Amino acid sequence: MPLETKQVASALAHVPLFEGISDESMARLSAVTGELDFEAGQFIVLQGQVGTGLYVILDGSARVVRGSDELAVLGPTDFFGELSVIDQMPRNASVQAIEPTRCLALASWDLLDLLESDPKLALNMMRVLASRVRQHGELHRH
Amino acid sequence: MALSPQELVDMLSGLSLFADLSRPQLEQVAHKMTEESYPVGQRILRQGFTGTGFYVILDGEVAIKIDSEEVARLQKGDFFGEMSILLGEPPVADVVTTRLLHVLHLGGPELEGFLRDHPQVMYRMLKAVALRLYNASRTRS
Repeated sequence: MPLETKQVASALAHVPLFEGISDESMARLSAVTGELDFEAGQFIVLQGQVGTGLYVILDGSARVVRGSDELAVLGPTDFFGELSVIDQMPRNASVQAIEPTRCLALASWDLLDLLESDPKLALNMMRVLASRVRQHGELHRH
Repeated sequence: MALSPQELVDMLSGLSLFADLSRPQLEQVAHKMTEESYPVGQRILRQGFTGTGFYVILDGEVAIKIDSEEVARLQKGDFFGEMSILLGEPPVADVVTTRLLHVLHLGGPELEGFLRDHPQVMYRMLKAVALRLYNASRTRS
């Protein structure tokens, strides 16, 4: 059953990526995101494809895999797919639903518009990416 | 060897980080940031230490070293220091000059406001961080 725009907004407000963004951005965001349901085992994004959007998990869980390695397990409020939107490079990993999983999807052009118009969102995004780069660096060294 | 304001703005306009800014915006950047020079062999950021800043290289070169091992070199147009400011954590690498270095410097606490005032710069920086993550995650497997 599709969520009302208000319910979408309240789900988005719990996603750290969207914390503190302007009301205007939140309203635009709620209006342009769509919900997608995935079955257990279904791939949400595939490694090697160029990204068309950002996904936020509302319900369920998914694993991030590259080749045969499982890199991470994601749950509600986690997001993925942003990297390929920003750099327009092919996706560097696949994400597969572990159980029935509901996501909010944001098309790449809408995400880019929002990033360009709301500096707070860009700053949040950059912080998340910076901390992921750091984690990779630490993995390298250990 | 400080540049005239005019020369500095000309130089900034050639750096990709500032490529989307208008001339008046470049003048603001030049006004907000401080020009500094460092001799060869100077450590500008120290791994594990607090007290940092954001630096954009105008000329010269630095080596990035983690646990004394060189992992990268940065040159004109490259920038460093933003990661620890954004994350509020000490630098994870030493940054040491390998050639006479000429930089623009912005104090750590000013970076967030600076980026909010100049969303185009933030967006360029975001792309650079995304690319770094992309490369880091590729080399890992």
